[in-house]
Amino acid sequence: MNKDKVKQIVLDIISEIAPDEDLSDVKPEIRLRDQLDLDSMDFLDIVMELRKQHGIDVPEAEYRQLESLDSCGNYLLPKFEAGAAA
Amino acid sequence: MSGLSAALRLAMFGKNVLVLEKHYVVGGLNSFYARKGRKFDVGLHAVTNFPSPSSGKTSPLLRACRQLRIPFESLNLYEQSRSRISFEDKHIRFNNEFSFFLNEIYENFPKEKDRFRNFLQKMEDFDAYSINVPDLSTRSILKEAFAEPLLGEMLLCPTSYYGSAQENDIDFATFTMLFDAIFKQGLARPSHGIRAILDPLVQKLDEMGVKRLMNNAVKKIKTYNGKATEIVMDNEDTYTADHIISTCGLVETEELLTKKKTPPKENKMGNFSVIETISVFKGKPTDFGWDETVIFYNDDQEFRYEKPKESMDSTSGVICIPENYQDPHNQKVDESRLRITNPANFDKWDSLEEPAYIAEKARCETVMLQKALEYLPKGQIQKKDFSDATLLKDTFTPRTIKKYTNHANGALYGSPVKSRSGSSQIKNLYLAGTDQGYIGIVGAMLGGIAVANNRILRPA
Repeated sequence: MNKDKVKQIVLDIISEIAPDEDLSDVKPEIRLRDQLDLDSMDFLDIVMELRKQHGIDVPEAEYRQLESLDSCGNYLLPKFEAGAAA
Repeated sequence: MSGLSAALRLAMFGKNVLVLEKHYVVGGLNSFYARKGRKFDVGLHAVTNFPSPSSGKTSPLLRACRQLRIPFESLNLYEQSRSRISFEDKHIRFNNEFSFFLNEIYENFPKEKDRFRNFLQKMEDFDAYSINVPDLSTRSILKEAFAEPLLGEMLLCPTSYYGSAQENDIDFATFTMLFDAIFKQGLARPSHGIRAILDPLVQKLDEMGVKRLMNNAVKKIKTYNGKATEIVMDNEDTYTADHIISTCGLVETEELLTKKKTPPKENKMGNFSVIETISVFKGKPTDFGWDETVIFYNDDQEFRYEKPKESMDSTSGVICIPENYQDPHNQKVDESRLRITNPANFDKWDSLEEPAYIAEKARCETVMLQKALEYLPKGQIQKKDFSDATLLKDTFTPRTIKKYTNHANGALYGSPVKSRSGSSQIKNLYLAGTDQGYIGIVGAMLGGIAVANNRILRPA
């Protein structure tokens, strides 16, 4: 697992919950909200898909860590690695 | 509809869901039935909130589709042609372009132009979608907003008919939502009616293995220490659940509780109900020169939205011509429908025995049609032609609405008291649907979604 793979996982989830969004040019450093039409309901879905598909829990206080692809990579990578080690 | 939406969200994220339905078809107010081989929708005049070019991606309809993972395109929605609000000889037309509607307002009420702009701003500044929204009277706001009361009355008419549970008023939050849903976004209809929305919901639930029990009503919900512990069905079957979402209404749910904290109050009971008569006729509506989709009419300068003293009141109503949605299929239909909706009195209809009930329906059909023709272009002089072209008439009454929705009094939009958050007096029992106060088909879907998300799915 590495940060790029984590970012791809997040992008795959977004494409599932928002199939009408064009994800071909998402800038990793820019907030997802600023380049895609995602609202708080969509972020809740990203969190829930992470739990459903990968067993990863993101507490509500830490939703902000998912604001961009880069921050997703930084924040989620240790969680993926911990999951793989367990 | 709200129950199915909530069930789908819960099942999507691994919850074990059971759907209990009193009726033998799904949908509640947004349901369907068949007569003589033809399918009819119960509630659906229009899907509001159509994401028109001027409203962009902000439409709650797109939100609902996304949350339920139903592609928007799969609904096959077609937009209205043009609709109208008519009060005596004053007409405001509207389509799904907000600028057209604005222009109509400014042409009909030139002196109100600035005041109307201020009013739009007032709505923009008001957070109608918040859970803790103040309860304000739209009627008093409109009275203050305009110098010509008629403008306010005309705005109240379509908004009330498409979603007010109160008589003669709407709370300002609901009004703002309806105004957005009808005018800023727009009206559309699925090519195959309400089933285009219900079928994918049900199909997805089936695919996920969600069990649906039909034609069996909940008789009571047993509670202990402020928690719902068991559901008892009419056939005495029982179920237990960690969480229960009830979509049968606020007062109606309270009545199912074995230990009530407070008895239902009269002011919690909705009173407004309708009768609708549907004429199926040969040909296309344009054969009669009727090219509009929905017409909201009122005989007077003042709009009355209330339970009539008699069984029905035709002095105000809604006319809907589904074949005037811009569905290419409608270009080649060989029969069409004229739907006429008027306020009706539940008690009068409920007290009628079968022969009298049928006779009263027939009497009302004639009165309603006669009045509606006055509001359709050249309606009066085409009366005989229309009557000759009519193949079938069907009418549903407040009693039918009660059958489909379980709402006390056959109240079209349920209780005037709303619970946005879906909380009830019982910890693990939530309310969804009409009595959350979100409006129409889209509101039903989003209401169910919100309760599932916020009450059950969202991690603590």
